[in-house]
Amino acid sequence: MPEWLQIVLRSLFFLIVLFLITKWLGKKQISQLSFFEYVTGITIGNVGAELATKVEGSIINGVLSILVFALAPFIAGLVSLKSKTIRDLVEGKASVFIKDGKVMEDNLKKEKYTTDELLGLLRKKDVFDVADVEFGLLEANGDFSVMLKKQNQPLTAKDLNLAVASVKEAQTVIMDGEILDEPLSTIGLNRNWLKTELDKLGVTIENVFLGQANSNGELNVDLFDDKIKVPSPQEKPLMLATLKKCQADLELFALGTESKEAKEMYSKNSEKLQKAIDHVAFILKN
Amino acid sequence: MTIASEVKQCVASLKGVEAGLSSLALRTQDDESKRILHETMMVVNEVMKDVHKRVGELEREEPQYKGF
Repeated sequence: MPEWLQIVLRSLFFLIVLFLITKWLGKKQISQLSFFEYVTGITIGNVGAELATKVEGSIINGVLSILVFALAPFIAGLVSLKSKTIRDLVEGKASVFIKDGKVMEDNLKKEKYTTDELLGLLRKKDVFDVADVEFGLLEANGDFSVMLKKQNQPLTAKDLNLAVASVKEAQTVIMDGEILDEPLSTIGLNRNWLKTELDKLGVTIENVFLGQANSNGELNVDLFDDKIKVPSPQEKPLMLATLKKCQADLELFALGTESKEAKEMYSKNSEKLQKAIDHVAFILKN
Repeated sequence: MTIASEVKQCVASLKGVEAGLSSLALRTQDDESKRILHETMMVVNEVMKDVHKRVGELEREEPQYKGF
């Protein structure tokens, strides 16, 4: 066998071996490198590359070496699932850089971070003023996490004591003009419903690039033809408006009628309706 | 428009809202929203029944506008 063919075959072989091994080690190896995974990752890559180009090297020895290096993080991962001490040793510990709004200079020095680097890390988190930070720490994998002081945190519905309707994730039901049946049934709807909704919007399925159904059973579509304007779902606001109109009508009737009985009935019901509107308004508002 | 027809229109609107709320309650995935929508639907139904009764009385008073 000529040398070049050997190299091609070896390269292909090690490509597959490396691919399988990273697949086996899982997503963690790619997404967040601990010390251990960092070291083994580099070594496995090196061994693979070395053996792919060196014709005289033994393939079995190489694969064995790769297996050992792959097994190590695998076992370390299994053990660190069970024990906190080993986890701290293998994956490292987070170190607190800012606490109670004060910079911990000692921890900064220990992790060899300069003040400029700290400011850089903060800026990456959109913080330009150290005084805004209540708590900040360097995670074991090198990410920097920041908790802002309460007054600098974004306002939430909870802060405002606002009742908000809960939303579940929307399901993509049409992609490139094709109906996806599985997400459709996940949200408890079917093709018939989809057809009706599309008819309501006045578009054909072939023209829909992307269609998503939200947890309220409303369909939002994006069309291939961007010149056509698609109305957003108006059902809920319309319902709220009708409810309000009915309530106002009842009040009017109560004022207009001369029968005492009817007056009482109208005003009782208008109050009842008003209470119901207050109760349901946050769901019907878009 | 006579009062009777206006009240009738109100009843019709209430019926429409009731049906809309009911269908929305069935389609909504969240249990809490489902419950509130259902409760509202019940209230609207009660109001609708009361007003509907009044339609009957009005028709007796203004028989020339009897309809439906």
